[in-house]
Amino acid sequence: MTTMTEQASSIEPMSLADIAQTHGDGSVTDREAVFRVRDLYVSYGGNVAIRGVNLDVHKNAVTAFIGPSGCGKSTLIRCFDRMNDLVPSAKVGGEVLYHGKDLYAADVDPVEVRRRIGMVFQKPNPFPKSIYDNIAFGPRVLGLKGSLDERVERALHQAALWDEVKDRLKESALGLSGGQQQRLCIARCLAVEPDVILMDEPASALDPISTTRIEDLMHELKREYTIVIVTHNMQQAARVADMTAFFSVQVDEETGRRTGVLVEYDNTAKIFTTPADKRTEDYVTGRFG
Amino acid sequence: MRISFQEELDELESSLRVEGELVLRSLRGAVEAVCSQDQELADEVIAFDDDIDSQFFEVEQGIELLLARQTPVASDLRLVLALLKDNLHLERMGDLCVTIAKLTKLSKGLPPDAALLEGFKEMGERAEQMIRVALRSLEQRDRVAAESLLELDELIDRANRRVVNRLLDTGGDLEMREWGLRMILVSRCLERIGDHAVDIGEQTAYLVTGEFREFTDASHP
Amino acid sequence: MSRRLKGVLFRGLLLFSLLVGFSMLIVLLVDVFRDGLPYLDMALLTNPPSSDPEIAGARPAILATLYMGILLLIFVVPLGVGTALYLEEYADKTRWYNRLLEINIQNLAAVPSIVYGILGLAFLVRGLGLGRVLLAGAMILTLLVLPTVIIAAREAIRSVPDSIRQGAYALGATQWQVVSRQVLPAAIPGIATGSILALARAIGETAPLILIGAVTYISFDPTILGPFTALPIQIYSFLRLPQEEFKLLAAASIIVLLVILLTLNAFAIYIRNKYRRTW
Repeated sequence: MTTMTEQASSIEPMSLADIAQTHGDGSVTDREAVFRVRDLYVSYGGNVAIRGVNLDVHKNAVTAFIGPSGCGKSTLIRCFDRMNDLVPSAKVGGEVLYHGKDLYAADVDPVEVRRRIGMVFQKPNPFPKSIYDNIAFGPRVLGLKGSLDERVERALHQAALWDEVKDRLKESALGLSGGQQQRLCIARCLAVEPDVILMDEPASALDPISTTRIEDLMHELKREYTIVIVTHNMQQAARVADMTAFFSVQVDEETGRRTGVLVEYDNTAKIFTTPADKRTEDYVTGRFG
Repeated sequence: MRISFQEELDELESSLRVEGELVLRSLRGAVEAVCSQDQELADEVIAFDDDIDSQFFEVEQGIELLLARQTPVASDLRLVLALLKDNLHLERMGDLCVTIAKLTKLSKGLPPDAALLEGFKEMGERAEQMIRVALRSLEQRDRVAAESLLELDELIDRANRRVVNRLLDTGGDLEMREWGLRMILVSRCLERIGDHAVDIGEQTAYLVTGEFREFTDASHP
Repeated sequence: MSRRLKGVLFRGLLLFSLLVGFSMLIVLLVDVFRDGLPYLDMALLTNPPSSDPEIAGARPAILATLYMGILLLIFVVPLGVGTALYLEEYADKTRWYNRLLEINIQNLAAVPSIVYGILGLAFLVRGLGLGRVLLAGAMILTLLVLPTVIIAAREAIRSVPDSIRQGAYALGATQWQVVSRQVLPAAIPGIATGSILALARAIGETAPLILIGAVTYISFDPTILGPFTALPIQIYSFLRLPQEEFKLLAAASIIVLLVILLTLNAFAIYIRNKYRRTW
């Protein structure tokens, strides 16, 4: 007689979160919260761009902010590295905790914040210098110790750009293609050894192949870094993100003012299969507006 | 490029392969149980179906997630759709094995016909072979192997007809007739398992050629 | 009148305007060169002026113009670039005093040069007690062209895309680092062009220099804190002498002046073209 059962198997069906777990995501929400945002709002000269944001960004995960234009997602991501400070009329309220510390406390130096929380922009913005000097800029201005050559090489390896530029480090960065320039900007960011990498629509100015390369890169990088990305391409969020936050625009009926609000924040799998809020469903199915 | 996507696809295929192995074990157990009238074995086959069902669910959910997150197109899409249907076929095969086991239990104590049971053993081996060919042709994207399933199915169909004829010939008393009726159903289940294997082969051909074509149609013999 | 004819006529008118201006210039140049070329020799460049046209030269004037040009650059570039950097990178543009400053720079660029001369006489020569010296001349020329340099520097600084600054800030650079390591290096071609053009303009200025006391006849080499003259003034003084040859010497001196100016302008264009950036 042969026995049939090898191992005890569960009889009840698995939830999607469990599926995500067995597919290697781990349980993202169990990991340390790198950022804790509480009741955040941002206004520019009296106009509230986004308000009432509450979410946690978890370590070694890719967190995506999606939503229609004007919903404040770029504004939000710029709160994480205090780039909103550069806009004189910007006012940030509420709380952003970074590893438990208030990012906007009086004794916090924005320069130090930006070293640990790097940013890659929508349109690649290489400096008008050589490839080497681009990557070396960060370590030089921050006075980082150690071999500069090693830093540059390591950053270029991490950004999957080394092989393409190793023979022309002294050439101008402006001679690279769009996709290469963006990877250069990522390498530039990595050279200062940040903790978090913020990406504001990193692939929207690139062709599809370069976009795929950047997405594969994010997959690699999240092992060491925490990544937050803003994207208007929700399929991209579906592909790369572990957690997705959907923002929408609220229009004040009396004043007509438009303000961004957080609608739903959950595992990407849930957002794209069974979203809890109808607004989310309308957006991801493309029936928005 | 798209490394994680490829990994997810590979994982789905390998989950399906695991399900296939489970179905094969279930089939072997069911045929063994009917041929040696082993009641305990039949119970085990019935319980084992839970494993197949949970594997089915895992593949099902995995496909849903993959479609939502990765929006596959072209050959990737055909692969996912083929896996979706193959998943169903395997699960149905599992259910048919359970039916065979239940019929075994129902025919407890009834007098068997040795020749018939010999025939079932052969049909069972044939069905097992077809499942293996179907799964391997999927794995290797082999259209020719998939199409060969048609001939193998013909053999099972003939064996099925032989069972019916044999039972018509032997006739017998009430108990024998009761046993006979149940065994026709067992034969039918085995024949259905063969059909499902052919269906899996059709999906493989679809995957490779991009065209869905039935190897054989019930309404056009 | 048919459309085509109108088009031809219009084009003709434009060409005519071009020719009018251009031909005047050609006539002037041809006249000057015809008169002056035979008299353009080393004697003109190396000899001091004298009453004998055979050995008269414009050496002190040429040297003075050169010295003033160098001093001008030393003064105006830091002042102009510094002001421009402050206004563009550090000043809060919404404040009223910064806006006032902005308007006034434009105004200053339009003030007639003779007013600067009066200013120089009152404050530098007499007020500061410098006297009628080359240094005062250089300083007044500095003030004269400073607004132009500020405007040119501001344009150059503004043309540096903001994305460069953002990228630098995002890496953790301080404002000083962003300005000194990114903005300024990128703006240098524009600043250089503007400065050279300002210099070329200043070299041709006569009125303010006369007012603060440039002499018309000086036979020894000028020093920074001594009396001085300038090439345009020397040309004028040649013209006032009775001998016919002096007029021709004047023409030759004009050629020297033109060569200096054209060289400077060409150099500015060269720098502008060489460093033209595509961001």
